[in-house]
Amino acid sequence: MAVIENTAVGRDRTAAATTGAVAVAAALALLVVVLAAVDITQGTADVGAAEVWHALTGTAEAGDASVVVASRLPRMVAAVLVGVALGMSGAALQAVSRNVLASPDTLAVNAGSYLALGVVAATGTTLPLLASSGAAFVGGLAATAVVLGLSGLGKGTVRLVLAGSALALGLNAVTEALLLLFPQQTEGLYRWGQGGVGQNGFDGVAQMAPVIAVAFVGLLLVARRVDALALGDDAARGLGVPVRGTRITTVVLATLLAAAAVTLAGPIGFVGLCAPALVRPLPRRFRGLSRSRVSLPVTGLVGAVLVLGSDVLLRAVVPADLAVEVPTGVVTTVVGGVFLVVMALRTRDTAGADAPDRLRIPGSTAFLTTVVVLGVVLAGVTVGAVLLGDSKLLLGDVVNWAQGHSGRVVTYVLDTRVPRVTAALLAGAGLALSGTLVQAVTRNPLAEPGVLGVSGGAGLGAVLLVTSVQAPGSWAIAAAAFGGAAVASSIVFGLAARGGFGQNRLVLLGVGVSAAAAALISLVIVLSDPFDTTRALTWLSGSTYGRTMPDTVPVALVLAVGVVVAVTRRRELDLVALDEDTPRLLGLGLTRARLGFLVLAVLLGATSVAAAGTIGFVGLVAPHAARALVGRRHVRVVPVALLLGALLVCLADLVGRTVIAPAQLGAGLMTAVIGTPYFFYLLVRTRR
Amino acid sequence: MRRNLLATAAVAVAALSLAACGTTEPSSDTPAAADKPAGKITLTDHTGVKVTLDGPAKKVVATEWNVIEDLVALGVAPVGVADVKGYTAWNTAAPLTGDPKDIGTRGEPSIDTVAALAPDLVVATTDLSPAVVKQLRKVAPVLEVTAADAADQIGTMNDSIDLIAKATGTETKAAGLKKDFEASVAEGKKALEDAGLGGAKIASADGYVQANQVSVRAYTGGSLLGAVNERLGLKNAWTVEGDKDYGLATTDVEGLTGLGDVQFTYVANDADGDAFSGLAKNAVWKSLPFVKNGNVHRLPDGVWMFGGPRSMEAYIDSLVDALTKK
Repeated sequence: MAVIENTAVGRDRTAAATTGAVAVAAALALLVVVLAAVDITQGTADVGAAEVWHALTGTAEAGDASVVVASRLPRMVAAVLVGVALGMSGAALQAVSRNVLASPDTLAVNAGSYLALGVVAATGTTLPLLASSGAAFVGGLAATAVVLGLSGLGKGTVRLVLAGSALALGLNAVTEALLLLFPQQTEGLYRWGQGGVGQNGFDGVAQMAPVIAVAFVGLLLVARRVDALALGDDAARGLGVPVRGTRITTVVLATLLAAAAVTLAGPIGFVGLCAPALVRPLPRRFRGLSRSRVSLPVTGLVGAVLVLGSDVLLRAVVPADLAVEVPTGVVTTVVGGVFLVVMALRTRDTAGADAPDRLRIPGSTAFLTTVVVLGVVLAGVTVGAVLLGDSKLLLGDVVNWAQGHSGRVVTYVLDTRVPRVTAALLAGAGLALSGTLVQAVTRNPLAEPGVLGVSGGAGLGAVLLVTSVQAPGSWAIAAAAFGGAAVASSIVFGLAARGGFGQNRLVLLGVGVSAAAAALISLVIVLSDPFDTTRALTWLSGSTYGRTMPDTVPVALVLAVGVVVAVTRRRELDLVALDEDTPRLLGLGLTRARLGFLVLAVLLGATSVAAAGTIGFVGLVAPHAARALVGRRHVRVVPVALLLGALLVCLADLVGRTVIAPAQLGAGLMTAVIGTPYFFYLLVRTRR
Repeated sequence: MRRNLLATAAVAVAALSLAACGTTEPSSDTPAAADKPAGKITLTDHTGVKVTLDGPAKKVVATEWNVIEDLVALGVAPVGVADVKGYTAWNTAAPLTGDPKDIGTRGEPSIDTVAALAPDLVVATTDLSPAVVKQLRKVAPVLEVTAADAADQIGTMNDSIDLIAKATGTETKAAGLKKDFEASVAEGKKALEDAGLGGAKIASADGYVQANQVSVRAYTGGSLLGAVNERLGLKNAWTVEGDKDYGLATTDVEGLTGLGDVQFTYVANDADGDAFSGLAKNAVWKSLPFVKNGNVHRLPDGVWMFGGPRSMEAYIDSLVDALTKK
């Protein structure tokens, strides 16, 4: 590269290329300026374009001028800084990992920073902004290191996204638990956790701008080495570029940018993913942009356009008073989710499904032993779940209760506790079966109702109903959840089916849809009833709180149907899971079989969510562990997965409602804490 | 290995079953209703549900801070309340009496714990999810009280105290409380008029600060504080519209610029920190007429903004103190 630039032809080309790149940068800068100008005319104060003009020209009333100077301008500058920081951070991370999906979101930088700030808040220490930024940096860097370390550089786009999303889920669950356990100390952190660019004066901006500037300059200095990395590690080494050092420096600088953005505005979703993706096609027309030194700042400008644009859009569409309540990050996340879906459709997916796990096939004694052991353990946990709680009971109490002659207190306690245990058991089994079916149909051992957007869609449907109707019945909630899940899964599976369920596409679609669903859920909660969010939030953390027996009927029925289908169609499931050709050769209607199993899986996922809220990871962990224990044949996998799923959720529910009693944590938070490490274990094991 | 696991599991379950056999209550059922006085009380709560009690309730559990306060003010020491620590920090107008058991959070009280207390009566508000109320009704009679109603906050407050008084046989106390409140209003109104503040414009608020962002919660005319302000002859300055229950609206510092020259009072609590002290250097805040004129008043800790007559009396006292202090 350096050689070519030294020739006369090279210089000409470089000059032409630079002109093109400058034109792009100038156009973007102009767009930022226009959006910034619109942004500062929007807000809750009665200060519009005319007043802003007066303020900027120094002829406004003192009050109007201060609004512009202390509220509008800092907000606008923060939006620009955050956009630039996130855009550059994403571009740098993608360059060093040679992975188009690396970003502060997918590498869990945001989640790590958020957790670090949550821990700081929970311990009750009030740190100055720079120090809390330091904490955010450490948290973000640790998370990135884990994700990059486990997913490996360069290869496995999907592995990176999966590792990042899984870690983000786990970390966010811990943060959420902190919010519930320390409500006083962490007040406001939840809303902040959705990301908003509003500022209290210029202080924050003034403190973060130098940090961002230092990282910016640092990235420009290593840009040439980063370009060399694109040639491959060996070629780069041949050019005398220290590969390892460059990678580490770049990741640290990119994390610093992301952490500064989080400190300033909370986690603003998906900008770091979208901005580089929008810039990527440009070098084909403007060659100057193929060099990092040019493309990094341009990506930063695109990031600024995204954040500012979202803020402008939000304030233009939603009335000013409500716009204060809706965090800008919600908008960027919805936009980002849609973007991810579009990107998934445009990428040619060459990666087929993973090779089947190479597992030994245990004998039938081993299978029977496993079932018996799991059955016994499940019985033990169930008994424990019924006996333990705020008031500890003994078995005799339960016997009396079952025979209908227990005393007043025991009757009441068991009347409320037994439905919760039942809901946990059924939802766990339902999610496990749903996961088994999805993994068989997609032939993707990492597919899961949660990761693929089914749970998110179900949650959105149910929350829409819960917040709009007073006291909806259990069937209505189940139906709404199914409606949401059906829409989400039609998008994900429908679009993925076109590419024969290619792995990359499916996961990208799923992550995009679940992120958008999660953001829409926060939006619905904030807009519908900002002062009574408990109802909806309780529900989302995957809780069995307040469940009654009728609430568990839908999932019980669907589960019964599901088990019958899975048992009678076990051979078809085996064939579908095997490969593309064998079922056809045997005359099996592959498309119809797939569709049938998927509909069943979605029904199972939705009714489970209706019974116990959005519980993650169970649909992934249970079938996988089942395969590891008893081999691949569904006649064995299904019963073991059912037992494991029920066991996992029942245990999580028991721990959640006893450890900090009388307060309680949702089962979903507990499964995320258990599920994340297991997920990583899977990723490490399947590393090729 | 597997065999060992199986054996361990079996032994564990066996041990658990053996240890857990027996019951936690006396084997024979002893209906406790026999020694109760015959005077049955039948009430209709705010959701229209008929509640029948064997007599004035003595063992009462309450799930929200305003009804806890009502009970304490009526001289009934509740046996179980939600979030003892929070109540102690936020409501000092009616300190808890007796030694009530903590039943968990206000949003998700533990039904297990409530059941174990075997109360005669549970007082809840309409903020509690209907599914939970349904379960609580199996534990004990539940009196559901309207949490708040922006159309008539003071009327709702009085209705609640009357209803709870009937259920606990403390009607005379309730009448006294309402009379005290009215007296306090009249006294406060006069004090404000004497200080030349009759008809003064007022804006009440509280706020949160997180990282570098401040949100301000406006107590509009539909809120309880707003309603009391109006009874005191003050005029509400908020133009934002509140929600239909609590009469609250959210805005930011910019949103304060429309208020004009008012008396600005805000509630904070040392347990949570003071959002408005963080604004001292903010140029918008400094330019507000009421800030320039020194008309910003932090109300003392422990006055619960959504409480009952006791809290509102304390509120009136602190407000009059703050506004008339020279």
